[in-house]
Amino acid sequence: MAARQTGLIAVLTLALLSACSQAVQPGAPAATRRLVSLVPAATEMLFAIGAGSQVVGVSSYDRFPPEVSSLPRVGALLDPDTERVLSLRPTLVIVYASQGEQAARFEAAGIRTYTFKHGGISAAFNAMRDLGRATGHEAEAMAAIERVTEQLNAIRRRVSGRPRPRTLLVIGRQPGTLQGIYASGGTGFLHEMLEIAGGVNVFADVERESVQPSHETLLARAPEAIVELQAQASADEGLERRVWLPLASIPAVRTGRIAVLSGEYLVVAGPRLAQGTEALARALHPGAFGGEEPPVSATASSR
Amino acid sequence: MSLVARQVSFSYRPVPGRADARVLRDVDLTVRSGSVTGLLGPNGCGKTTLLKLLSGVLTPTSGAVTVNGRPMAAMPRREAARQIAVVPQETHPAYDYTVLEMVLMGRHPHLGLFQIEGPADIAIAREALAATSTAHLESRPFPSLSGGERQRVVIASALAQSTDTLLLDEPTASLDLGHQLEIAALLTRLNRQRGVTLCLATHDLNLAATVCDTLVLLRDGRVVADGPTADVLTSRAVRQLYDVDADVRFHEAAGRLTVVPVAHAL
Amino acid sequence: MTGGTPAESASPVAAPRPSTLARARLATTLLAFGLLTLVTCLLAPLVGSSHVSLARAFDPSIPFADNVDAQIFFVARLPRVIAGALVGAALASAGVVFQAILRNPLATPFTLGVSAGASLGAMLMIILGGALSLGPWSPVPLASFAGAAGAAALVYWLASSTGRPMSGAVLLLAGVTLNAFFSALILFVQYLADFAEVYRAARWLMGDLDVGGFGPIVASLPLVLVAFGLFALLPASLNLLSVSDESAAARGVDVVRTHRVAFVSASLATSAAVSLAGPIGFIGIVVPHLVRLLVGVDHRIVLPASALFGAAFLVACDLAARTVLAPVEIPVGVVTALLGGPFFLWLLVRQA
Repeated sequence: MAARQTGLIAVLTLALLSACSQAVQPGAPAATRRLVSLVPAATEMLFAIGAGSQVVGVSSYDRFPPEVSSLPRVGALLDPDTERVLSLRPTLVIVYASQGEQAARFEAAGIRTYTFKHGGISAAFNAMRDLGRATGHEAEAMAAIERVTEQLNAIRRRVSGRPRPRTLLVIGRQPGTLQGIYASGGTGFLHEMLEIAGGVNVFADVERESVQPSHETLLARAPEAIVELQAQASADEGLERRVWLPLASIPAVRTGRIAVLSGEYLVVAGPRLAQGTEALARALHPGAFGGEEPPVSATASSR
Repeated sequence: MSLVARQVSFSYRPVPGRADARVLRDVDLTVRSGSVTGLLGPNGCGKTTLLKLLSGVLTPTSGAVTVNGRPMAAMPRREAARQIAVVPQETHPAYDYTVLEMVLMGRHPHLGLFQIEGPADIAIAREALAATSTAHLESRPFPSLSGGERQRVVIASALAQSTDTLLLDEPTASLDLGHQLEIAALLTRLNRQRGVTLCLATHDLNLAATVCDTLVLLRDGRVVADGPTADVLTSRAVRQLYDVDADVRFHEAAGRLTVVPVAHAL
Repeated sequence: MTGGTPAESASPVAAPRPSTLARARLATTLLAFGLLTLVTCLLAPLVGSSHVSLARAFDPSIPFADNVDAQIFFVARLPRVIAGALVGAALASAGVVFQAILRNPLATPFTLGVSAGASLGAMLMIILGGALSLGPWSPVPLASFAGAAGAAALVYWLASSTGRPMSGAVLLLAGVTLNAFFSALILFVQYLADFAEVYRAARWLMGDLDVGGFGPIVASLPLVLVAFGLFALLPASLNLLSVSDESAAARGVDVVRTHRVAFVSASLATSAAVSLAGPIGFIGIVVPHLVRLLVGVDHRIVLPASALFGAAFLVACDLAARTVLAPVEIPVGVVTALLGGPFFLWLLVRQA
């Protein structure tokens, strides 16, 4: 059960609307020595900008980088262990936008907090920069942002000029069935990753991070490609592709252009964004990466 | 038809700590065809339970109830219901059935599984309503009736069952004087004109005196007296049952025995 | 006091009064409701969040796999409407039966814990993430049905082991207790599960008629048909039982057997419905009451009429759920609650 918990991150990222404006300004003072992060994306960022040695506590769902396995766990979104956090004597705690109550408690105890706001790629970069400032690794943070930006641009270049398929990006589904499908809507970092990777989101017009389409909607939107993101690989991948067969009129199903990608890096809006985006791009445009060109839909239905 | 209870005992549930939890003990009783039998006794003497045993709704713990010699226990409920009808003390339907719907329920034992009442059944129901002078209430919702009207409708419903025998539990409880007399007259009429066998449990000694030709006195689950009304209904009997000194005498104008309680016997 | 006169010959029946022609009323009422249900079920697949060309949908020259309109109609909409009709009929009639044997107008198909058992089963399967299936049954509906059947069996066993004969009061006691217990278990399981699973479970609990194919319907159909077959045996007895157990027995009803048949059939219908589409509330209580307002209280009419009206009602609610805020879908359980809640308040106020 532990390993699959990163599925949480995907749902969280899309379910939480970042309506919070309590981004505490990580002020100027000295680099903070002891960091506790309740947000896995923030943890990854901290390690990527060189602040890894300052991290003293991570969330229950943290898996990357490998160093976190030896660090104490302090709960997560639903069950932050305030006592545990306090016992680690942190100087900065990174919390979710919806954990305002916990943040207030930490502040009252004299501990600074940083509120991690979920959003698009720019929100992730902002977070990296803020964390860089707060931990005294601003230069490394900017460098990391540069790096990721360049990687994303490289992917963009690779797939430019290729026909962009209308893509359904599935981020949740009842295993073995077509029930309970969650797909990426037209906002949020997954949507942006898809667009960079050379796909057009079938739900680009929906101003939400996630959509729960009915079978009718799926048939009506008729995606040319289906990409499913999973935190961990499923037991029977063949089955997970076959479940789509009843919706035979979907071009993606007709041409078999269904990809199932697994890995936490796909669903964490952190420094590994470019990796996830590249995986998406490879799935959509294998030809750009030295593979075979994908099959083209016989009849592009114009609905 | 004869309804006989032979050495019938009944206890509801074994009660730990009570050696003998029997509500009725070794009761012998015969309801002769065409008679009006009254079951008299103080609260808790087992009258209601005995009626339920006689109707077959309850099964005796020991002993047997027979209908025309056939054991009640061996009889399917439907068949028993075609011979014996019951008028309970109170009727509180969960839904607002109309009077006619209530009375038509009495036709149930005569209908097949998917059969719905036909014109004949409705005629019988209406006749029963007429016999209890409630025909004008036919379309009224049952809960909207007065206590007396309700009791008469329930009797009509039992009549619609077209049985030889009617068992009634406190038929005049909660009725005013006028209605009490009406019910008494109705019961007498049913017995004399239609030959319906009646067995009623009652507190009302004067009702018993008016209507019943046979009385069975019960105390603590046992029969303490059984015989014609004139023989059984005595001051001594009243004292034995109720610990009450009463004056029992024949009343000229009423044409029957009357019971007037005088004082609590100490 | 009038009415003491000997009975004159009863006045000849002039115009047939409603309470007298039970047979005719039954026929015409069922015909009317049947028509309503039929029309609803025929119209519902024609309406949806996307535009469908019926001409294309029914054009046999286009291969089915290529025909989007046909796919939307036959894969997305039609199964949904049929599932809605089935679930609506099952829950409404189960509601009638439970209200009768529990002698309580507020009883619902979910009162005795059958739905809680179903939810627990579904939740455990979602969390354990099993991939086992049995023919046309996929894991979650299968586990949900197992949970429901288990809960019903438990209630039945509890109710039979008290030493008192099976009666409404005993069932209510056993069922409500078990319901509370299962609900607590559900909370506990939710607490232990991780966020994504809780989300999926919460979504299942909202109810979903979008079955996406005929498989799940075929799997549930035999159960529902058996339940309906048993229902057919009950109405007259339910009338009598709703007066009292004892008067029913005195009129020839086998009270214990009737309670058993009623409980088993209503639980079966509820289990099948909840396994197919999740626990959709308010159908089992709103429809019976609405129907009683329209046709009276005779169960011989109320039971079949509720089944028919329940089907139409749920199909209509689902229609609203999937079109009102298109392309966003409201969970159908929310629509039934939005309609059912105020109706209930009105009922209460009316009775006060």
